[in-house]
Amino acid sequence: MSPEPTPLPPPPDLYGRGHDDRFMRLLDRVTRFYLPISTRKDRYGHRTVAPTPALLPVVVAARTVEAEGVVSLELRSPVGTPLPAWQPGAHLDVDLPSGLRRQYSLCGDPADRNGYRIAVRRIDTGGGGSLEVHQDLSVGTGLTVSHPRNAFPFAADPAVLLIAGGIGITPLLPMAREAARRGLDWRLVHTGRSDATMPFAAELAALDPDAARVVRRPDDEHGGPADAAELLGHAPTPGAAVYMCGPAPMLDAVRAGLDGSPGRGLHFERFTAAPITGGRPFTLRLRRSGTTLAVPADRSALDVLRDQDPATPYSCRQGFCGVCRRTVTAGTVEHRDRRLSDQERAEGQMLVCVSRAPEGECLELDG
Amino acid sequence: MPHTPAPRTPDRDDEHHGLVLQPRNVRFDWNALPMHWIPGEPMATHVINVLHLLLPEGERWFVRTFKEALPLIRDERLREEVLGFIGQEAVHAEAHQGVLDHLLAKGLDPRPYTRQAEYLFQRVLGEHPELTGTAARENVVERVAVIAAIEHFTAFLGDWVLNADGLDRAGVDPTMLDLIRWHGAEEVEHRSVAFDLLRHLDPGYGRRIRAMAITGPVLVHLWVRGTRFLLANDPTLAPGQARPSWRAYTAASRRGLLPRLGRAGRSAARYLGRHYHPTQEGSTRQAVAYLGSSPAARAAAH
Repeated sequence: MSPEPTPLPPPPDLYGRGHDDRFMRLLDRVTRFYLPISTRKDRYGHRTVAPTPALLPVVVAARTVEAEGVVSLELRSPVGTPLPAWQPGAHLDVDLPSGLRRQYSLCGDPADRNGYRIAVRRIDTGGGGSLEVHQDLSVGTGLTVSHPRNAFPFAADPAVLLIAGGIGITPLLPMAREAARRGLDWRLVHTGRSDATMPFAAELAALDPDAARVVRRPDDEHGGPADAAELLGHAPTPGAAVYMCGPAPMLDAVRAGLDGSPGRGLHFERFTAAPITGGRPFTLRLRRSGTTLAVPADRSALDVLRDQDPATPYSCRQGFCGVCRRTVTAGTVEHRDRRLSDQERAEGQMLVCVSRAPEGECLELDG
Repeated sequence: MPHTPAPRTPDRDDEHHGLVLQPRNVRFDWNALPMHWIPGEPMATHVINVLHLLLPEGERWFVRTFKEALPLIRDERLREEVLGFIGQEAVHAEAHQGVLDHLLAKGLDPRPYTRQAEYLFQRVLGEHPELTGTAARENVVERVAVIAAIEHFTAFLGDWVLNADGLDRAGVDPTMLDLIRWHGAEEVEHRSVAFDLLRHLDPGYGRRIRAMAITGPVLVHLWVRGTRFLLANDPTLAPGQARPSWRAYTAASRRGLLPRLGRAGRSAARYLGRHYHPTQEGSTRQAVAYLGSSPAARAAAH
């Protein structure tokens, strides 16, 4: 398949009757008549549409220590207006004052349109985002956040098992709240290192007055972490949908253990771009404009192209959907995609979301 | 005249705001697929098989058109939704291509029809180099209007297939059922994107209506001739063994194997309503629930 359409002659009749297909010719003729009429007026250009900002200004209205090493922040509009609506599983991109951007699940009540609540565990060995939240974001600090986006939607299935590992409770707490409100048959298992490090015990207890639905399971009181069979065994009925958020090993174990367990569907937050491993710096040259762009070791060619042109096409950022394909007219590509055929690679195609070049190489892109 | 964008947010409590659309890297193995994957129902099988004839080329055309529309978008959140939509459509195209390859290997050569699909989507509906400047730009918007109309039908079909108990009762091949339900669920999941994009580029009622007025009848005709073509070329059927007819269609739809024509017609009519929005059709919750349990989507999750 070529990415650009090529002029084609009218195709033959479907049943090999030796003439052009009449219906196709009719469609072509109608289109040639229709094109000038339908494109005569500049309907797009005659309107002035202001760019819609994607970011919201907020201010830290409250800061609460929720557990050992966990603080929550209440974010409000600086002018006191209601904030955009959201549903359980939604997150915000938070632009921290240092310039770091971090994603945090909303863990408050969707019915409260006046504030967003996020909760952050302090990770001393991480990239610094959680330390900044813990140390520098005091009440009154102004921040910029994205509109709520939901990569972990809750389907409110009739029977649900919610599995939370540590701070992974944040997206699941609003799901539990919705499950209780809708009268679903739900269970929630919350695991963590120790009782003192596990936030929101009181809120969970309030959702479960009969103490029949929420299981809190600190590792240190149970001789170590739970295995998948134990976690999935908490399903309220066979066929329950499983929603899970927690550390990667726990997620992998639950995924592997799902078949043969009472759990049926499995939902978890899917992350798009995997971190770049073994990347080296190289450069891109855009053939038409002559612009040269440096691609550092820790960024993709796509990231750099998007900085330059926000309308750059891409989608999966994992090298399988093929939307970001570009044609390379000079230079050696280090292919890392799972999509292109050998022939497409030989023709110079490249998926810029994952593929790179050797150190110091200059790739010339057509366009 | 200053333009106030219409609210993109769904009206219904049931629908998700800001749903992140992501392509899923699905794989299907067609080795064990029987020719009549709805057992004993060659006509119903081939009516649905028309999807495989039209979608690979059609969805590649969606991807090309939406790529052309990206520079026209002045709303970053909408652009993000469009990018998610494009990736899902790109994966759909390849998933259906796999079925075409299988049909060819089984002796049903789909190429006379797919050549026409190529012509339709690459030439008739493709880029027209004779258009330049604002006319070329308006042609992109016109094609987005056609895609919005088609997406109304794909969302209708997606909603139908997610609820089609008749297919479960008929013992449909499980891999094919998963393909059409996974695809249907993603169509329901992203059903607002093309419409919202059209409204962003041209909020006028006229373009939406005329695009549907053309797209609807052409799509029905393509479907009818696709069904005829597949039945005539099915190597497992004797000539004339399974003749397509509206009566046979209606009977199959009563058994829940195909969508009811009346429902499809009423759904198309709703698109003409001034206050139509795709969120009024189908349920995101149901789509999300299926995607959590779909074997292909689960295997693709990472």
